[in-house]
Amino acid sequence: MKANLFENCKYPVRQATVEAFAGVWQRMGESGPFWTGRDHMAIIQEARQSLECELCRRRLAALSPNAVDGMHDTLTDLAPVAVDVVHRIRSDPARMSKSVFDDALANGMTDSEYVELIGVVATSVVIDTLHQGLGLPVPGTLTGSDAPPTGQKEPEVVEDGAWLRLAPRDGELNEVGIPRQANIIRAMGLVPLVIQLFFTVMRQAYYIANLPISISRSQAEFIAARVSALNQCFY
Amino acid sequence: MLLRGSGEFELQGVMDTSIDSGVEHGPLLGQLVDATISRRWDDVAEFREQCVRTLGVQETVDAIAVASAFNGITRIADATGIPLDSGPAEATESMRSELAIDDFSYNEKTRKYDRVDA
Repeated sequence: MKANLFENCKYPVRQATVEAFAGVWQRMGESGPFWTGRDHMAIIQEARQSLECELCRRRLAALSPNAVDGMHDTLTDLAPVAVDVVHRIRSDPARMSKSVFDDALANGMTDSEYVELIGVVATSVVIDTLHQGLGLPVPGTLTGSDAPPTGQKEPEVVEDGAWLRLAPRDGELNEVGIPRQANIIRAMGLVPLVIQLFFTVMRQAYYIANLPISISRSQAEFIAARVSALNQCFY
Repeated sequence: MLLRGSGEFELQGVMDTSIDSGVEHGPLLGQLVDATISRRWDDVAEFREQCVRTLGVQETVDAIAVASAFNGITRIADATGIPLDSGPAEATESMRSELAIDDFSYNEKTRKYDRVDA
């Protein structure tokens, strides 16, 4: 099944954006270094499901999400540890804490698997939000490849104050031509594929490189600051 | 307090609607962003059309695209616990304190939300 994004949109989404997003969606249907394409699609399904999940709802209402135990309402055969991370990132990012990451590792997930998973969630959030913001349904998930994860050449990563290892701060251009300087650019250094996926969609929306954006820089920064505040994002 | 650098506007006006942010059509953009991030799709439809009439159709698409991008990228930061970059960390020290933004730091969130389990 081919990815068709922004179908029947009554607003002018730039062709470059349509093509970039569709290419990323299609790529997420293929296997990555640590998850299959089918897993990627399950991760996206679970991210969407978290918004209807009763446990996630109860956690959102609680003083601390970690005070509420239970089972997630799940749609897929992803392992419970993966479902928990996906649901938390999608439904309550403001209250992600290191224990979520530590618990994932304690329950058998590797740091690289964690990074690929969050990269898929974050990328799908951008794609879903833009679709819904333009009055469109979210894109249908693909069947997803069952081919085994590809593995990857060991990337160069360093400890630098985050919960996990980051790409080095060396100013070198990363997988999509962005200098490895800011921590947000380095954050997913353990899995270069998801850097490529995420920033391919990100650069279609924000001033990373030569984007023909029609709102002013101040308007774009105002929107970015407001979203960050609403999501209580410290960074 | 002005946020300088790539844009310039009154930072406290980002969330406090009683303060003029200085950003053209800031209040309407704020309403569109709030509705989008809160997933109030009926409100999004209304504010989107207002934006089309006020800012223009391509501007409206681009505004929603920026909001969408940051709805994703904040999750990467939140899920990896990355520290502030050194330049912005120094430049925003007093502002973070004044606006209580340090309450959102990943160490503080971990302390706050993990304490219940202890």
